[in-house]
Amino acid sequence: MERSEILMQINEIFIDTLDNDEIVIEETTQATDVDEWDSLSHIMLVVAIEKHFKIRFTSKEIQSWKNVGEMLNCIQEKGI
Amino acid sequence: MIFKVGDKFEEVFVLKKETYQGFIEVFKDKNPLHTNRQFAIDKGFKEMVMHGNILNGFLSYFIGEKLPTKDVIIHSQEIQFKNAVYLNDELVFYTEIIGIYDSVNAVEFKYNFKNKEAKIVAKGKFQIGLLE
Repeated sequence: MERSEILMQINEIFIDTLDNDEIVIEETTQATDVDEWDSLSHIMLVVAIEKHFKIRFTSKEIQSWKNVGEMLNCIQEKGI
Repeated sequence: MIFKVGDKFEEVFVLKKETYQGFIEVFKDKNPLHTNRQFAIDKGFKEMVMHGNILNGFLSYFIGEKLPTKDVIIHSQEIQFKNAVYLNDELVFYTEIIGIYDSVNAVEFKYNFKNKEAKIVAKGKFQIGLLE
């Protein structure tokens, strides 16, 4: 899948999970850039992304992400 | 992870008078469907209908007290009400793990409550987190 397509799908997951239709995420977006992106919603986002792409992350992978771009790298490394 | 996909649990609940009265006392929902027998009958039910959200209390009890660990927190839960529940109904609660998310220590369950006629009265999903 094209990286831009993955980003678009992740954006939809963010909108749905965080209940904010106006969210537009970019590769450089960090948790601190999105008001609703707190520790609990982070869990819900990870679960939603794992379900959507039918992949599983490790806790080590998640802890290594500094922004959405690094999340994307991780998703692509899983063959998406 | 102490859980695995496919793990199943079952619990029996009886909707007792003190639970019904306690719910009304705490939450003040005295809608006539729940408190006026004739009103409920006129609406097509056989008796006063119990508050559906009492079942959420049973669910809370199960998660907090009956799972094999107390290190749990509820992330989310959803419920659909399918049939009315009446006073003193015995309900069989059945739940099964449908997803494990090790990366964030989360576990997803589906569940249902059935009455003595084996009719599903409510069903849904919930997700818990395992506290470290």
